[in-house]
Amino acid sequence: MSENTLYDLIIIGSGPAGATVARLAANRGLQVLLLDKKQELGAPIQCSGAVSRHGLEEVGIRPDAEFILEPIYGFGIYNEKGDKKTIDYRRLAPEKYGGSADKSPLGYVVDRRRFDRHLMTLAERAGAETYLKTEGLGYRPQPDGTCEVDVRRFNEKMTLRCKVLVGADGLQSVVGKWAGLRTQIRLTELASCLQFIVDKVETEGLLEIITGHEWAPGGYAWVFPKGHGYAEIGLGVIPTVTELNAREQLDKFIKQSFFGDRFKNARILEIQGGGVPLAAPLKTQYADNLVLVGDAARHVNPITGGGIHTALSGGKIAADFLVEQINSGGAFKKADLKGYQDNWLEKLGNKMWKLYDEKTEIFKTEDLEERNRKLYKIMSDYFSPDSEYKKI
Amino acid sequence: MNKPVLFDIGWNACINCGACVAVCPQPEPFISDFDTIAVNTVCDIACMVCEAICPVTTITHRDATAAEIEVAPLMQKNNAKSKI
Repeated sequence: MSENTLYDLIIIGSGPAGATVARLAANRGLQVLLLDKKQELGAPIQCSGAVSRHGLEEVGIRPDAEFILEPIYGFGIYNEKGDKKTIDYRRLAPEKYGGSADKSPLGYVVDRRRFDRHLMTLAERAGAETYLKTEGLGYRPQPDGTCEVDVRRFNEKMTLRCKVLVGADGLQSVVGKWAGLRTQIRLTELASCLQFIVDKVETEGLLEIITGHEWAPGGYAWVFPKGHGYAEIGLGVIPTVTELNAREQLDKFIKQSFFGDRFKNARILEIQGGGVPLAAPLKTQYADNLVLVGDAARHVNPITGGGIHTALSGGKIAADFLVEQINSGGAFKKADLKGYQDNWLEKLGNKMWKLYDEKTEIFKTEDLEERNRKLYKIMSDYFSPDSEYKKI
Repeated sequence: MNKPVLFDIGWNACINCGACVAVCPQPEPFISDFDTIAVNTVCDIACMVCEAICPVTTITHRDATAAEIEVAPLMQKNNAKSKI
């Protein structure tokens, strides 16, 4: 990390999106600096950790035992009464999906601490410079077309230079605020989430999703396998439609739902929480010398709240665009970087907007029974093999 | 217009989830050293969405005193209205 270097990219935030931009850009010869203010990536965990195998493979990440907690083979979608629709790819396509060496899982539940560290390692091995305990403080576009970025590492302030600053600093993005982008999420569109990692709850290789206003007002509850015989029980609620906070709601779900018997011996091993946007993507994800990726750009599925796959895909779209822009001698003003968002909308974003519209329609439904039915249907349809949103 | 407030966080219950920061409408970063919303800076918007989103309801507030408002840096440069 040098004040005398003109980096092609400085990336703030080494999560799935930032580390993917760093790895793919460094692979193609760009001079990349990847920074994160944390001392341990992925922690505290704010995510359930589910990602499709396809999502990893399309950005060149090999599934690795370092970060995989458990392979996933399908879904179990429940309505509020406990009726279940099972979408198990081991049964739908047994020649392709399964646990034996000649077959594959549909996806994985990953340990975000190990996953994020792994992705940073891959970026570092591709040639990116990587630093932890390094916090971004601000950025200033310069008259010469580059920009200055103020950072602080172990209490030492430095001013660095780059062509493009990539804000990959998550939902709480400060980089977007530096550029004056409207990154704030409405209270009605941020799910307040809590999850427990538990012992003594059986799972069967499926991501289980429980819909219904009774259990998770405005969102849904989940039971995911977490490896080593553990499970993850969690939920997200929209605070404007419930009197209970997420912790109280989760307590109610564990004790009073149709899973009461299944959960009765559950022992809590970890407590994790987060805000998950069930929101539209940011309308503007770029500014002079700056683009946003991942949660910072709200590249999150507005129906499922899933954000790892979308962060990886968006990271690749950003890297492809920026490599081309830099190698072709292009400029980096706001108008020059618009192409990144255009590419993203074409490949991913327009479908996410459509999902957002469908989700908004469901939660506008005043009749609770009708709303429950619609939510159960969209979740069931979404995870079906013939879903038009399969790869979002 | 809401009265300016100072937030307090019950750290024993805080699970460091970041939801309060994500939902905060302040145009400038309004963050504590522990990645929660700021606890030592006057909030002139006082929309309380951070309190509402907290999964463990561990954010509270009190009205800022006249002396605290006078020295609050955000008050001098921030004319933003809540966009909730």
